[in-house]
Amino acid sequence: MREGLQRFTRTHEFWLLIVLIVIGAGLTAADSSFFTLQNLFDLLTSYAFYGILAAGLLVVLISGGIDISFTATASVAQYVALTVAIQYGATWFTLFLMAALIGIACGAVNALFIRTLRIPSIIVSIATLNIFYGLLVFVTSGRYIYQLPDWFAHGIFWFEFEDANQISYGINLQILCLACAFLLTWILLNRTNIGRQIYALGGNPDAAQRLGFHVFGLNVLVYCYMGFMAGIASLVQAQLAQSVAPTVLVGKELDVVAAVVLGGASLTGGVGTVFGTILGLALLAIIQNGLILLGVSSYWSPLFVGLVILVAVSTTAWSQNRKHRRMVAA
Amino acid sequence: MNRRDTLKLIGATTIAAAMPGGLAAFADTEKSMTVVVKIAGIPWFNALEQGIKKASKDFSINANMIGPANVDPAQQVKLLEDLIAKKVDCIGLVPLDNNVTAPVLKRAQAAGIKVITHEGPDQDGRDWNIDLIDSKKFGEVQMQRLAKDMNEEGEYVVYVGTLTTPLHNQWADAAIAYQKEHYPKMKLVTDRFPGADEIDTSYRTTLDVIKAYPNLKGILGFGSNGPIGAGNAVREKRLQKKIVVVGTVLPSQAKQLILDDIVREGFLWNPTDAGYAMVALGKLVLDGTEIKDGMDIPGVGKATVDAANKRIKVDKIMRINKETLDGLIAQGL
Repeated sequence: MREGLQRFTRTHEFWLLIVLIVIGAGLTAADSSFFTLQNLFDLLTSYAFYGILAAGLLVVLISGGIDISFTATASVAQYVALTVAIQYGATWFTLFLMAALIGIACGAVNALFIRTLRIPSIIVSIATLNIFYGLLVFVTSGRYIYQLPDWFAHGIFWFEFEDANQISYGINLQILCLACAFLLTWILLNRTNIGRQIYALGGNPDAAQRLGFHVFGLNVLVYCYMGFMAGIASLVQAQLAQSVAPTVLVGKELDVVAAVVLGGASLTGGVGTVFGTILGLALLAIIQNGLILLGVSSYWSPLFVGLVILVAVSTTAWSQNRKHRRMVAA
Repeated sequence: MNRRDTLKLIGATTIAAAMPGGLAAFADTEKSMTVVVKIAGIPWFNALEQGIKKASKDFSINANMIGPANVDPAQQVKLLEDLIAKKVDCIGLVPLDNNVTAPVLKRAQAAGIKVITHEGPDQDGRDWNIDLIDSKKFGEVQMQRLAKDMNEEGEYVVYVGTLTTPLHNQWADAAIAYQKEHYPKMKLVTDRFPGADEIDTSYRTTLDVIKAYPNLKGILGFGSNGPIGAGNAVREKRLQKKIVVVGTVLPSQAKQLILDDIVREGFLWNPTDAGYAMVALGKLVLDGTEIKDGMDIPGVGKATVDAANKRIKVDKIMRINKETLDGLIAQGL
């Protein structure tokens, strides 16, 4: 136990957690509404879309690839799935199944090009981002969908309870999907043989191939997993925004990449944890949230966001360097 | 020279000789105008294109619309350069960034192309700018509406698309100035927030604002998704009795929020009219008609002309409320 704790103090996640606790404590002291159940539920709900995408992207990054086409994938998935649901009717199950399958299909396209032609994944996903998005805008002429099916518009609300101000809380669709996405990703990475193979593939692709890993299959799996998450995330976002707009999701890729990389995943592959990703996302969410709660002028907020990211990354880099020196000395 | 070419030559000479005065009339039907918008394929500019097409028929001018795939002023420059090369007679522009598009517009003018802008009262390198609203009045009218439902007292916040979107910030400036002058009991609690072009961002901002300012009574959203995101958050927190939401919205998008009395009233100008007005004005300019104050622009209405600043305004604020909603949605807005 103690040894585990000691090992934990040397990780990236530990230092990120420290930064997060310091900021959280500061915000709690400065503003009473920060550390409340209401704020926690609000944050989870509004960042669920980013969180689910981050879970998918984490797996891709660990495998040594990158995918930035997921926002276009999500746009296509939500548009097609909800159009079909409005035209022909659907249930929660069939709606999610449709979005997930569309996402998986888009992911498979990425994997096919990346693996069979050995094109760098960033180039392929930039191209597919534009293709998916371009096709969607062309076919739909950018028309928004406002009239969602009633059952979808109302969403779900479990374990509802009210606080003193009659504001109700509950487990909504966003929070439920977010929790499932992180749990599923954690199981995949830490409790399955495939998860270990994904780490190995990202750490040293040549060695992985010589060991006889099914590299093609693994690649298809990670990009399809990303697409699957994009499909789920897209419905979560549509339910929250109460509309489908083909143009709003594309452009948010870098926020998700920032959260995952801030959480310690390496762009060169092989490194990254679900816990770190959660912390990275939490850090980004809490800065934005905290700045408004503190009444900081919006003209200043990009500056503070940049500063906090820099401090967080510097702290963890400094601790990693120290660890490296200690290892060299030993 | 074969027979066909000879015939062509003779034909062309005959026509040209036959109409020294007729040449202008012939060229008139062939005049072309292309309007460059902020981004292609969103509902707003689809509606604007309808107006361009209608005016194209009404004034027999060959008018069409193009736009970049992303909101990017550099892409607008490229499209404008193509139009100069194609030698269109008139360019219409809904500018994204005045500074970026100014040099290329000056080149267009040097090449003899007339330039009409919309939403660009400060754009250099244009012949005229036409707007269907007066920025100051547009801000003030919305503040009056907000004040009415807030009983002229209490705290409010303002959302804009980005902190640098020219028009949104002009509206916000006008609205805030008007409040300071006329409603001393109302108070802007913090600087304006960006993000009103996106539903998710304004939703998130609103959740935070509600917690940070528990006495908040009003939200004024400039940027067509601001009131929607704010309205969704207000609905979720069941605060519609306490918080008034007013701002710029698209009728079909805001329908449910307006019917549920969450967005009390929306304000906009009609994009179809705007497209029509640009082409109508382009036609007048190409015909060499003198533009003067109080003149009637065909199919648009009486115009206020500021010749020194090359600004034309037609007052066409569109109010979106329970009464007007269905009619506007039927128009496809």
